[in-house]
Amino acid sequence: MSLLEVKGVQSYYGHIHALKGVDLTVGEGEVVALIGGNGAGKTTTLRTISGMLRPKQGDVTYAGRSIVGMAAHDIMSLGISHVPEGRRIFPQLTVRENLDIGAYKVSNRKLIQERMDEGFALFPRLAERRTQLGGTLSGGEQQMLAIARALMVDPKLLLLDEPSMGLSPKFVETIFDIVERLNRERGTTILLVEQNASMALGVARRAYVLQTGEIRLTGDAADVARDASVREAYLGG
Amino acid sequence: MELGIVAFVLTNVLVKGLLVGFVYAIIALGYTMVYGVLQLINFAHSEVFITGGVVGFEVFRILGPSPMNGYLKLAIALIAAMIVAGFLNVLIERLAYRPLRNAPRLVPLISAIGVSLVLQDVIRFLEGLAGRFNLVYVLPDVFTQRAFGVPVPFSTAIVPVQGKDVIVIVVAILMLVGLTYLVNYTRLGRAIRAVAQDRTTSGLMGIDANRIISLTFLIGGALGGVGGVLFGIFFSKVDPYAGTIPGIKAFTAAVLGGIGSIPGAVLGGLVLGLLENLIGVLNVFAQVPALGFLKSIGAEYKDIGAFIALILILIFRPAGLLGRNTTEKV
Repeated sequence: MSLLEVKGVQSYYGHIHALKGVDLTVGEGEVVALIGGNGAGKTTTLRTISGMLRPKQGDVTYAGRSIVGMAAHDIMSLGISHVPEGRRIFPQLTVRENLDIGAYKVSNRKLIQERMDEGFALFPRLAERRTQLGGTLSGGEQQMLAIARALMVDPKLLLLDEPSMGLSPKFVETIFDIVERLNRERGTTILLVEQNASMALGVARRAYVLQTGEIRLTGDAADVARDASVREAYLGG
Repeated sequence: MELGIVAFVLTNVLVKGLLVGFVYAIIALGYTMVYGVLQLINFAHSEVFITGGVVGFEVFRILGPSPMNGYLKLAIALIAAMIVAGFLNVLIERLAYRPLRNAPRLVPLISAIGVSLVLQDVIRFLEGLAGRFNLVYVLPDVFTQRAFGVPVPFSTAIVPVQGKDVIVIVVAILMLVGLTYLVNYTRLGRAIRAVAQDRTTSGLMGIDANRIISLTFLIGGALGGVGGVLFGIFFSKVDPYAGTIPGIKAFTAAVLGGIGSIPGAVLGGLVLGLLENLIGVLNVFAQVPALGFLKSIGAEYKDIGAFIALILILIFRPAGLLGRNTTEKV
């Protein structure tokens, strides 16, 4: 049984019909990539899953249970962490406080400390900057913090929105290494939204191609990467 | 002009200014915290605060004849005022602001002013029913003579300090320290700051923003309640409409310090308290030949002076003394 199922979801921003019936599934332990151009509806799909946006139609089930209409903070408590577009670090909280806020739902102080140490081990740069305000970090460091923050609850399902956006190639490499390690070592299920299609298809097992609010293509990441239209549109020919 | 008189006047300004300043600071915190989480000026806060003052009056009135220890009466008055004003503030948010959360910003502002007017007359009605129109505080003797059972050490002929003055400062400082600790070092405080900075993302962290907003109103209202009791103790009386002017001044203090900033609210309160007391005594200096024009500036000018200072500070530092110049988030 798949961990996450999105069925016929239609979402709107005001009058803009952003998702016109999206279907996708993510199996437990999988890394699934959702690729597509600007405005295709990738971010909207993640926002609909995590409860930031309520769909007009369709259903989202997580572990067999419908989560449509639940508040974002309740969906998060089920084990879904969403690293949102633009990282959304709390600029006036320190790195440490950002991680503490990530662990808002964790009451065991020891566990919080353990996970914070794990996060610092994963991203040593954050450890050096632990007392710095989030807003003073570089883009790459903020992305690391956003991921580390999402991991504070040890999520079953991680929704990653454009983790490579605006980052130098070296940082992009680091971030994708971490994504692979999370999946391999902890078995975290990951739904990855990316414009950097070649990177995304490199780490994902399966992929969906989204275009103007609809799924255009789906299959094994390797097959999607070989598809002529995908190569032309997203992989630079 | 005699140096002794100058020293006498300035010491008095300092003591009075700090006292009033601390009361403003406590009230200003309610404005600034609510503004922090909702970007809303809670104009009903002046009535929430005076409700605390009225509750304090009632407690002292009811307990007046009892032989109970004066400090115990004070503690009961403070706790009762915190509870009533705190939950009143929560109720106001729930009924008058939350339904308007997505309305244009001016709409909840008008609703706040409406709540403010309603509360004034509800208080007047309730006290009027009992035939009470002049709510003069019945203070235990310890407050009017000595502080904590001992004569106030620096209460000499130069600065008449009463026990109640010391109480105002001690209670205010305890509140400020407690609030600073709460906001900076506790899980709730972190959540309040997170919601203030980015409500949507705080939801992704598992924070129920509405609950945090309610708790912020509870804390802000409770502080307002304490401010009301201290106000009543300091000025010896309250009335249903007495909240407006100190409310506006506390709001001024919050803006002066940088709205949304907690240390800013405290600094703004103290600056405002000192400033208006200084302006109130300016005519003393009219004896100096060159300053003769000060003769006509009496104590009644202190409000005007305070607001002129506010205007000047806002012209040169629009974000307030400790505020950050932030651009609107997209």
